[in-house]
Amino acid sequence: MKKLSFTLFLLSLLSVIFLSCEKNGADAASSASGTGKGGSLAKFTIVGNYIYAVSSHYLYTVDISNPANPTKVNQSALSFDMETIYPYKNRLYIGSRTGLYVYSIDTASSPRLIGEAKHGRSCDPVVANDSVSYSTLKGNSFCGPATSGLYVYDVKNTNNPVLKKTIPINEPIGLGIADSALYVCCSGDGLKVYNINDGYNPVERQTISGNYFIDVIPYDDLLICWTKDGIRLYNITNRLSPQFIKLIAN
Amino acid sequence: MRLKNYWLVALLFISLSSCWDFNNRNLPPPESRTKVLGHKPVYGTEVFAKGILYSPIPLPVINGGNIYAFNNFLFQVENGYGIHVIDNTNPSNANRIGFITIKGCSQLSIKNDKLYANSYDDLVVLDFSNLNSIQIVSRLNGVFTEYRYGSPIAEPPVSGYYECPRSDSFVVKWVSDSVYQSCYKQ
Repeated sequence: MKKLSFTLFLLSLLSVIFLSCEKNGADAASSASGTGKGGSLAKFTIVGNYIYAVSSHYLYTVDISNPANPTKVNQSALSFDMETIYPYKNRLYIGSRTGLYVYSIDTASSPRLIGEAKHGRSCDPVVANDSVSYSTLKGNSFCGPATSGLYVYDVKNTNNPVLKKTIPINEPIGLGIADSALYVCCSGDGLKVYNINDGYNPVERQTISGNYFIDVIPYDDLLICWTKDGIRLYNITNRLSPQFIKLIAN
Repeated sequence: MRLKNYWLVALLFISLSSCWDFNNRNLPPPESRTKVLGHKPVYGTEVFAKGILYSPIPLPVINGGNIYAFNNFLFQVENGYGIHVIDNTNPSNANRIGFITIKGCSQLSIKNDKLYANSYDDLVVLDFSNLNSIQIVSRLNGVFTEYRYGSPIAEPPVSGYYECPRSDSFVVKWVSDSVYQSCYKQ
């Protein structure tokens, strides 16, 4: 009996040790993911041990588990003009000139097209969270005749993105999400800040005008903006009210 | 009936000969065609074109491209030429501190102090854990098939006429010059 309780004690001690190790392991894993963050106009992204890259007609997958020996594992030919790639969890959102495409990377080495929402020809970066994705469409002579604006899609079912709303904007380009805020670069018209507490109904809160905004990266409490004359930094501790910090002039 | 055929043959001959005249007399030989102010490619050997170098001297941004954030650093692609490095340890005092020359570059991404970028259609992996001695970890040739001629350096940085680059060579920069109107960038 004594022996048994001692064994149980040992077992529980072991399980406690094991659990604490597990926790450390998880923490280590999250810091080991160690990737940075790109803007919405990027054509390169790293998820886990893979680089995903797009060019007009291809989606490339490169295994970088050993950086000294990267290996191309996939190149999918696609018929649409791909422009941008945005990772969210186990999905890749690809903006193209003909629509929004959602890829599953459940099998990381071979992305699989699982959903699409087509629109008229236009340029089209995209950002997303669990339930909603936002695209900007810039309909001009170069990119096609679709109506310029912010397009809001319901992506709860990624196999079937549903257009919920369009908000007309003259010349939108890059965009970024930070919690309840959506930042949309509007070329010469500045940077628009939307409240997206109700994700399908962005509410415009303010426009930071006076500069030509191209793309943004919300990075913790910092909003990094690529503008025509340099990189502008804003403090977004208050997400809906960016405070200007600095211009790193070209 | 037969006469009609002769007429047709004669007509054909006349129209063909007018083409002949046009090609030989109305168009001046190429060397006397008017040139316009535009851009001309400068070629480099593959070794030169693919050379990678970090210089701790900040350069001005001429044709800025994609931005990227990683820990206390920001990066901005100089389309076709490389990557500006910005020290962002203290955002109110953030500044460019150096430049990584990677010709043919348009994209970058970072994981664990390894910077992944394209150089033309190659993937290059750099270790920048020590900025002053950036090491090339690896290079995988010809991965991104469409990036070579779609590379930003395959065109001059501004709109206008330019001399179409040869497909068997590496463009390393563009210079202003008078050129024939062979290619045009919008």
